[in-house]
Amino acid sequence: MSQETNILVVDDEQVMRDGCKRILSKRGWRVTLARDGQEGLDGLKNDHFDIILLDLKMPGLSGMEVLKEVKRIDPEVLIIVITGYATVDSAVEAMKIGAYDFISKPFSPDQLTIVVNRALEKKRLEQEAELLRREREKSLQDIAMEKSKIRTIINCMAGGVIVTDRESQIVLNNPAAARMLGIHDTHLAGRPLSQCIKDEILNQLIGDIFTCNNSVPSILSRELVIGEKNITHLRAHAGPVRSDEGEILGSVIVLEDISHLKELDRMKSNLIAMVSHELRAPLAAIEQQLMVVRDGFAGGITEKQRQIIERIKERSDGLMAMIRNLLDISKIETGQIVQKKESINLNDLLRSVSELFTSQAANKRITIRLKEGKGIPLIEADQSTIEVVFNNLLSNGLQYTPEGGSIELKTTLEGDYVKVDITDTGIGIEPEELPKIFDRFYRVRSEKTRQVVGAGLGLAVTKAIIEAHLGLIEVKSEIGRGTTFSVLLPRQVEGPVA
Amino acid sequence: MSKILLVDDDPDFCEATKIILESKSYEVSIAYDGIEGWEKVRTDRPDLIVLDVMMPKKDGYEMCKELKTDQEYADIPVLLLTAVAENVPTTRYTTRMGMEIEAEDYIDKPVEPIELVKRIEVLLSK
Repeated sequence: MSQETNILVVDDEQVMRDGCKRILSKRGWRVTLARDGQEGLDGLKNDHFDIILLDLKMPGLSGMEVLKEVKRIDPEVLIIVITGYATVDSAVEAMKIGAYDFISKPFSPDQLTIVVNRALEKKRLEQEAELLRREREKSLQDIAMEKSKIRTIINCMAGGVIVTDRESQIVLNNPAAARMLGIHDTHLAGRPLSQCIKDEILNQLIGDIFTCNNSVPSILSRELVIGEKNITHLRAHAGPVRSDEGEILGSVIVLEDISHLKELDRMKSNLIAMVSHELRAPLAAIEQQLMVVRDGFAGGITEKQRQIIERIKERSDGLMAMIRNLLDISKIETGQIVQKKESINLNDLLRSVSELFTSQAANKRITIRLKEGKGIPLIEADQSTIEVVFNNLLSNGLQYTPEGGSIELKTTLEGDYVKVDITDTGIGIEPEELPKIFDRFYRVRSEKTRQVVGAGLGLAVTKAIIEAHLGLIEVKSEIGRGTTFSVLLPRQVEGPVA
Repeated sequence: MSKILLVDDDPDFCEATKIILESKSYEVSIAYDGIEGWEKVRTDRPDLIVLDVMMPKKDGYEMCKELKTDQEYADIPVLLLTAVAENVPTTRYTTRMGMEIEAEDYIDKPVEPIELVKRIEVLLSK
């Protein structure tokens, strides 16, 4: 109570009045006195009282009548009746018609104080209860507004939303969800989730959310295929719905239509395949004819002519490599880079890759050496893409190594990885360039590298392939002395060794 | 001397390859698609077929599958010319659709003349 406690004492005896005032004022309460019932009632018209001390036995308007009247005027006032010597009957009578308490004469100051305090406590509690009630009313109203706000929001969302309880029964959904799932009914509440989303794994994962509290990742994602004839591709994101105390109340599933993305992917793959063929086929024919002339099948040629043709073939090889790298980049972007994993013996693979470069190496009088480590375990990898890795690295080595140099390929076992070091005696890479060489389209441009063919994609693709296999690539280099690329690939678990 | 049938839709590639093989005294005939290819198979009965995968009308996959399921011609060795990866030897070929085509050998084009000749010799000696 922010205001001062206001007490009215109605008693015809002056001694009583003064006594009460004295006792109650000591407590800091404001006390107003009235000589009889009428004065008391008049007082009520002007002031608000929290407590009225009312003598029952008064001349004129009796206590009972005053009591009834007070109750009529201000039902909230707490009335304590003062009864005569040892008469409880009238007190009971008074309480029946609305008095809160009674005190019988004679009473001590303490007794009076206690009774009044009790009444004030009651008032205080009543007021608190009223406050809480109003708060609650407001909150419920707010929630109802929130709920309808939330409803409006989710109903307008393009994405599908489904909320379930702990038994995976749907409690809330928006029309978009029903539409995406191909269900005509827009209200799915009451249905089990598994009836609407027929993906076993998703249902299992959501069930797991409810059983294991914390070990499940906070949001899980899964692609769904809906329908048979007109297929829709959806991506579902699901997570727990928690109460304020952190208890899991249910789950929420958000659905995203990715059919158009799938279609774009498909179109892109088709386009890429077509472009790939259209670019490669003519190049293949060009190179085949070049080789025929170079090797003298179409008649004798001079050494100079042979050299020029060899150079043409090199440029054309570069174009082929660039086409393949561009295709690989688009595969990386669509996450298709690791297609099929099998057990691979790296020593064998390196041997066959280096064999492909024998004539190119011979032209620059560069020696390619293989140091095959013993006891090298097999790795689990996609053969064609791993071949691309070493193809790129070896090709780079040859490009950046001047005549008469050498390239060494060494395999070793390093912990759980098979390590391949490719060391050349090439021109080396400047320290400030080293961090950038794996960037797409990054090419070192200097007088020494003018003759080099390529768009700068080889190392980016190489790194992406290695990382897709959960491996690592590192590089060390010294200008004028050479470069070593180290490729680490995880060994196959429980496999035989080479 | 052995008869080789070369089926490929690129005339320049065919001419270049023909020159290489004829230098080793092979008898080479050419077809530009799968349909022509089948005609030549029936009339000439080659000892070896070099078959390009990407061709109009009837491509290499189809023709190879048909050859291998036809009892009369299944025993003719087939060397598939693939476009899997540039300059990378593969010992089996998986199409984009994931089907495995069973041919006797696969080689990527363009192919070094020496390599081509060597592979053909191996196939014919079996």
